[in-house]
Amino acid sequence: MLPLSYFNYYLALGAVLFAIGAVGVIARRNALIALMSVELMLNAANLTLVVFARAQHDMRGQAVAFLTIAVAAAEAAVGLAIVVGVFRNRRSTQLDDLTMMKH
Amino acid sequence: MTSLLPLLSTAQVTPGEVEAPLGPQVAFWVLAALTVVGAMLAVTRRNLIGAVMSLVASFFGLAGLYLLLSAHFLAAIQVLVYAGGIMVLFVFVVMVLNQEEAEPWALRHVFGLALGVAAAVYLAVRLGQLLWAAGPGGGELASRLRIREGAPPQGYGTVAAIGDYFFTEFLFPFEAVSILLVIAVVGAVVLARTTVAKATTVYELPPGEVDLRQPQHDARDEVLGVLGHHAQAANRPGGGH
Repeated sequence: MLPLSYFNYYLALGAVLFAIGAVGVIARRNALIALMSVELMLNAANLTLVVFARAQHDMRGQAVAFLTIAVAAAEAAVGLAIVVGVFRNRRSTQLDDLTMMKH
Repeated sequence: MTSLLPLLSTAQVTPGEVEAPLGPQVAFWVLAALTVVGAMLAVTRRNLIGAVMSLVASFFGLAGLYLLLSAHFLAAIQVLVYAGGIMVLFVFVVMVLNQEEAEPWALRHVFGLALGVAAAVYLAVRLGQLLWAAGPGGGELASRLRIREGAPPQGYGTVAAIGDYFFTEFLFPFEAVSILLVIAVVGAVVLARTTVAKATTVYELPPGEVDLRQPQHDARDEVLGVLGHHAQAANRPGGGH
């Protein structure tokens, strides 16, 4: 729909989203926000895949993006189950409180 | 347009190239703004529900961008799976845990913040370098990436076309993902279930309260009792259903 000149903007958008997600994973203390940031980073990668698929008129990129979405769903389900399990045992969702392995 | 992102100077229209129609242009910038603002709010919000809702908005923006890129099936999947499935799961967990967040950005973790910002700057610089090297229209990089101008072929991005790939070239990843999803579902159930018995030892009850989570008798007795009742009813002459 848009000419080739816009693909760079799409790629830049993907990079910005990935960077925001990276900041969230590294800087936030809440486990749920960290998981959401991981989802955001996966989405940024997906956007890049779809952009290149569109640029090359090749649907393989979209197929891989679809598989990524499935893996992200599995990751979210298991990750949230782990968060709930940790919360039940330690009454906290803060990543800083999970220092058991240190000692 | 070029003044917004001077580094990405490829928006100049060369004589042979068609200027983008205004509608998709506006749609792109609106959706991009929605996506980025939603993502930033999701990462910075104090309120967890607010963060989840911002991320949903961001994912809707991404679905719109997929539509602009003629990935219709993926746009639908994005809304159904992400906005409709994964984020609902997040909302459930946020509400089940129901925790106030004391401080979203820990001050003693300035190191982490600096690292995140450094990563963002690094990404931006590398992308700028790449696009700068590519030059207007993509140049040599475009030919190396096999980038093609013009509208995609008929049927691009439809369910039928993507299904063709899944049942031919991507058959193995497709099946592997189905197995992965089964493993994830079973794993999530196991992880969420095994802690139920331990949870009763963590919560402290006020004195005099009866812990309803602690079964007063074995649940199996109840089931067996019901079964036994049915068995008796069946054994009584004329007592069957």
